[in-house]
Amino acid sequence: MLIFSTAVLAQEVTEQPLDTLTRHTAGLRQEIDVLKRIKLSGYIQAQFQVADSAGAKGYAGGDFAPGVDKRFMLRRARLKAQYDAPFNDKGISTSQYVFQVDVTERGVVIKDMYAKFTDPWSGWLSLTAGMQNRPFGYEIGYSSSLRESPERGRMSQIIFPNERDLGAMLTLQGPKLSNWNWVKIEGGFFNGTGGPGAANILNGTASGTSNSSDFDKFKDFIGHIVINRSSRSEKIKWGLGASYYAGGFRQDASDRYENGTDSVGVKGFTMEQKKSEVSVNINARDKVERNYIGFDGQLNIDWMIGMTTLRAEYVSGSQPGTSSSTASPAFAPVSTTSSTYIVLDTAGTPKTVTTTSVGPADIYVRNFDGAYFYFLQNIGNSPFQFIAKYDWYDPNTDVEGDDIGKKVSTGYKATSATDIKYTTIGLGLAYRWDASLKITAYYDMVENEKSANLSGYTKDILDNVFTLRVQVKF
Amino acid sequence: MTIAIAALIGASAFAQKIVIKGSDTVLPLSQKESESYMKKNPSQSITVVGGGSGVGIAALLDGTTDIAMSSRALKMDERMKLQDAGKAFKEVTIANDALAAIVNPSNKVTKLTREQLEGIYTGKIKNWKEVGGDDMQIVVYARETSSGTYEFFKEHVMSRKNYASSVLNMPATGAIIQSVSQTKGAIGYVGLAYVTKDVKDLAVSYDKGKTYVEATVANAKNKSYPIVRPLLYFYPTSKEKAVKPFIDFILSAEGQKIVTEVGYVSMN
Repeated sequence: MLIFSTAVLAQEVTEQPLDTLTRHTAGLRQEIDVLKRIKLSGYIQAQFQVADSAGAKGYAGGDFAPGVDKRFMLRRARLKAQYDAPFNDKGISTSQYVFQVDVTERGVVIKDMYAKFTDPWSGWLSLTAGMQNRPFGYEIGYSSSLRESPERGRMSQIIFPNERDLGAMLTLQGPKLSNWNWVKIEGGFFNGTGGPGAANILNGTASGTSNSSDFDKFKDFIGHIVINRSSRSEKIKWGLGASYYAGGFRQDASDRYENGTDSVGVKGFTMEQKKSEVSVNINARDKVERNYIGFDGQLNIDWMIGMTTLRAEYVSGSQPGTSSSTASPAFAPVSTTSSTYIVLDTAGTPKTVTTTSVGPADIYVRNFDGAYFYFLQNIGNSPFQFIAKYDWYDPNTDVEGDDIGKKVSTGYKATSATDIKYTTIGLGLAYRWDASLKITAYYDMVENEKSANLSGYTKDILDNVFTLRVQVKF
Repeated sequence: MTIAIAALIGASAFAQKIVIKGSDTVLPLSQKESESYMKKNPSQSITVVGGGSGVGIAALLDGTTDIAMSSRALKMDERMKLQDAGKAFKEVTIANDALAAIVNPSNKVTKLTREQLEGIYTGKIKNWKEVGGDDMQIVVYARETSSGTYEFFKEHVMSRKNYASSVLNMPATGAIIQSVSQTKGAIGYVGLAYVTKDVKDLAVSYDKGKTYVEATVANAKNKSYPIVRPLLYFYPTSKEKAVKPFIDFILSAEGQKIVTEVGYVSMN
């Protein structure tokens, strides 16, 4: 019994207070390391806007409703959850999962939902799959919480509604400590529709036209190469990028038009394919092409008057749309046609009957271009920042001025308000109260192209918008 | 007795508190300066925490420090983040530091060119015999990536080339001193104030071996030693009233005397 009790006593180890503390600290550290892998962030943008005229249409947060020239708005309210896998023995986090949702008075929209896998050996190659930013240009991927102007340029909103799309993308970029970290090449295939978010934007309602993924079999390729460098002094940073978009969508049983000139020299649209030439078999139908090229550049200089930023991006290409819109479609373009005719009722009395039918919309292929230029100036070391932006979107570079709206010969289609170019100058001042709160006052001066031949566009439309925005970020 | 206790509690409650976080290189200097300052100003309470320049700058961004101490300049991305966070800040150089390349005292190598240092740290030179030493594998020590010293060495000695994957990263300067002193084939780099008799510092040449200069305060002051960097304090302008008296003390004659005593290069 004495031996047994001695053996039991021999196994007892009295832990010193310091050892206890070390053990507890190690345990706490492990738990903190797990929690640190999950990041929750978000931001809310509440704003008040005044338009030049009631019912003004535009891209400063959407059209004003008829009769409305002032509004309060919850422009964005985002919540983002991100999980990063722990680093392996090569210091590489091999996976990341992101979920972001936008919740406003207009409804709930999923913005991001993707998984990113990085090769565990070198950390150079990543595969991202799911709902993610399209890898085109600079403005698309630049967070709305950081962007100085309240909205992206008109062109970005039209050709890339919702900014995001469903697809898979490969990224080639050296890890942070690599000598080649300054260059990134990314490319992938996407549905091209922008997902349900785009459908919501284009339809203007909370639910939108149902579009869970895609409406045709054609997938769009998007590629982007970008370089980012800093000077040795770390006072100058610059970046240059080039982007390419090669895609399109199925042309259904509709006519297809492209820019042309009629027999008397009036610019308009000529028919390139009749609807009767489109295959009856939906699987055998061709694609109408959508191709863009883009170039972007950024320059940041930190000098005695404060941080100066210059940013520019130019995109041109071929955009298939309809007679009334050049927006990239989130669903198969349709048009509603109505027919009115006279019928005799049973008593022989003539009655007017109107029927409507919805069918594939005629496709109009236009050459477009657009650009934006930012000049941002931090006022010394103060929390104020001056913002100036210039952007244009020309939906049809083959026509200009009085060409638009001119009557064309039979067999041709005339240009319309859809072909009007818009130029916007934005001026603003931002005040950063602290790391979470930013207040921005911004005035968009929108000028449309004028045409003596297009009713409603003989002079500039009153559609300037003033925005006062408060952003809270966490 | 009650009144005395109340006075003590009152005094500590109203003590001006300053938190300083960041560079391990600046840490010993900040500690000595704050000790002297607090002796002269008993109502002041200064807490100094290391972790690396990156840790200090991150703390400046998230508002958990009054002063970020750093042995490297702010990167452009960090400046932009501070701007975006609405944090106007100021930068003050409180001292200069010579960065010494150190080896084990038994190592017969006494000098290296910049190119040889770069070759060792990029993994191109793997044996001491390649640089005039014994036939012995080179064991390379560096600081962690959050360290300003790590960044400075990469920028100014390695011409921005990447560290070899075989380089052993140590969390603190003291750990490098210990490792180099205990490993015959080791090489590391530390701020001059950390050099002890347990290690040997090398003379360095930046003109491909024509002239070699030793890492000393005098050579750093007369600018003949090539690897010299400013030691910096960054602080938000909103904290200027609280921290300026302490910074003014460091920049005064008395404060700069402490700089020399600690082993760094004074501003005057």
